[in-house]
Amino acid sequence: MASRYDRAITVFSPDGHLFQVEYAQEAVKKGSTAVGIRGTNIVVLGVEKKSVAKLQDERTVRKICALDDHVCMAFAVLTIFIGLTADARVVINRARVECQSHKLTVEDPVTVEYITRFIATLKQKYTQSNGRRPFGISALIVGFDDDGIPRLYQTDPSGTYHAWKANAIGRSAKTVREFLEKNYTEDAIASDNEAIKLAIKALLEVVQSGGKNIELAIIRRNQPLKMFSAKEVELYVTEIEREKEEAEKKKSKKPV
Amino acid sequence: MAATFFGEVVKAPCRAGTEDEEEEEEEEGRRETPEDREVRQQLARKREVRLLRRQTKTSLEVSLLEKYPCSKFIIAIGNNAVAFLSSFVMNSGVWEEAGYAKLWNEWCRTADTTHLSSTEAFCGFYHLKSNPSVFLCQCSCYVAEDQQYQWLEKVFGSCPRKNMQITILTCRHVTDYKTLESTGSLPSPFLKALKTQNFKDPACCPLLEQPNIVQDLPAAVLSYCQVWKIPAILYLCYTDVMKLDLITVEAFKPILSTRSLKGLVKNIPQSTEILKKLMTTNEIQSNIYT
Repeated sequence: MASRYDRAITVFSPDGHLFQVEYAQEAVKKGSTAVGIRGTNIVVLGVEKKSVAKLQDERTVRKICALDDHVCMAFAVLTIFIGLTADARVVINRARVECQSHKLTVEDPVTVEYITRFIATLKQKYTQSNGRRPFGISALIVGFDDDGIPRLYQTDPSGTYHAWKANAIGRSAKTVREFLEKNYTEDAIASDNEAIKLAIKALLEVVQSGGKNIELAIIRRNQPLKMFSAKEVELYVTEIEREKEEAEKKKSKKPV
Repeated sequence: MAATFFGEVVKAPCRAGTEDEEEEEEEEGRRETPEDREVRQQLARKREVRLLRRQTKTSLEVSLLEKYPCSKFIIAIGNNAVAFLSSFVMNSGVWEEAGYAKLWNEWCRTADTTHLSSTEAFCGFYHLKSNPSVFLCQCSCYVAEDQQYQWLEKVFGSCPRKNMQITILTCRHVTDYKTLESTGSLPSPFLKALKTQNFKDPACCPLLEQPNIVQDLPAAVLSYCQVWKIPAILYLCYTDVMKLDLITVEAFKPILSTRSLKGLVKNIPQSTEILKKLMTTNEIQSNIYT
């Protein structure tokens, strides 16, 4: 049945599916795993870095991008798109133009929700247009608004967007989300460091070769965004491994 | 008969459908020219499944399991299942190659049927040196529908023994799994089992529910075993990553505790390390997906 209703984007199937949109969601699963966490005073974005080809310049493979960088107030909206690289580039460009256009018109930087809604509306347009296919990307968008409240939003190829406390997209997103559901507690995000460690721990569930394959970025309230270097990520990974060992030692010492 | 505008006489299609006419036409179509026959024979030769010995490159005279007695046969079909057996089973003992299957079909990347390199898809048969009745098959190539029967004949023979146990491991994409839930909410990768009537041991995972079906070579082997009353079980891993993937391969781990693989796996942590290495060497960065 699916094969009769999945060729054109503008055709519903008898049981109400838009198959092209669902197939676009499968395309997202082919990308790397990305995780976003909203702490009390910090937002964290982490993504798995896949190994690049030998002759490829690694610096041109940046996954976490800033959509808006407000110079005076040091707010920023960070995003990561997972799925088709080319689609991501196009949407990021449009979003960046919209951020500047908004600032020129309204003289205020965009709120995280505004730009998320813009991106989601753009994606939805492509699910209702003849001759175009949906964008094969999901995005995690983080930032702080004027009111100082941290925000994390997620969009998907269908054009829906929701606010989340913590979420994961891309390959094995379900495994990471389950890990987050179990481990995202008030204690876990009490301090900035703990929130960063939670993001790294969540990624380590599915990333194969440890810290050197993780790209991490954070924004602290009233501070400029910070991209972690590989060394800094490694430091956190070592600390996480040490804590794990200590926890296991304590478990084994417990009298049976 | 009717005449067209240009005066040529053509046979008008007869809606009454007289049977004699139809038979005549069919016979004409069936009468093949010597060229047709030649082409058909050439194609059959090209698609032949051959079981060869590595050193001598000669074909085995009888089927594999007629030549070597077998008590346990584990077959891995597909690259994830092959990676699982390579890291967990083949590294825990000394395995000797008993032969390999050579076949060509439209799925093969090379058109050259004579020289298939070792990095291409392959189908190898191994037996344990310390217990030669334990067999293993690593099949990472696609065996087409017309070749499956030949493959079974060359491996099992026309009258197989019943006192052996077959275990098959393979993967399918989760979108093939028919269920009322949406595929997004399924806990992929997950394992399902399907066994023949004579297989009495319990499976280590739930059985495959209707209306799901098994296809290709795993289905052919399972059907063969059911017909010949050989105890066989198929472990099917539904995954959303069809290429070589660590989490998919690890989904096969529950099978290590079953009777099928008991005694064949010694060092699990070491095997996990070998598996990780296998993943990194095979990883090709695709620039299409970020």
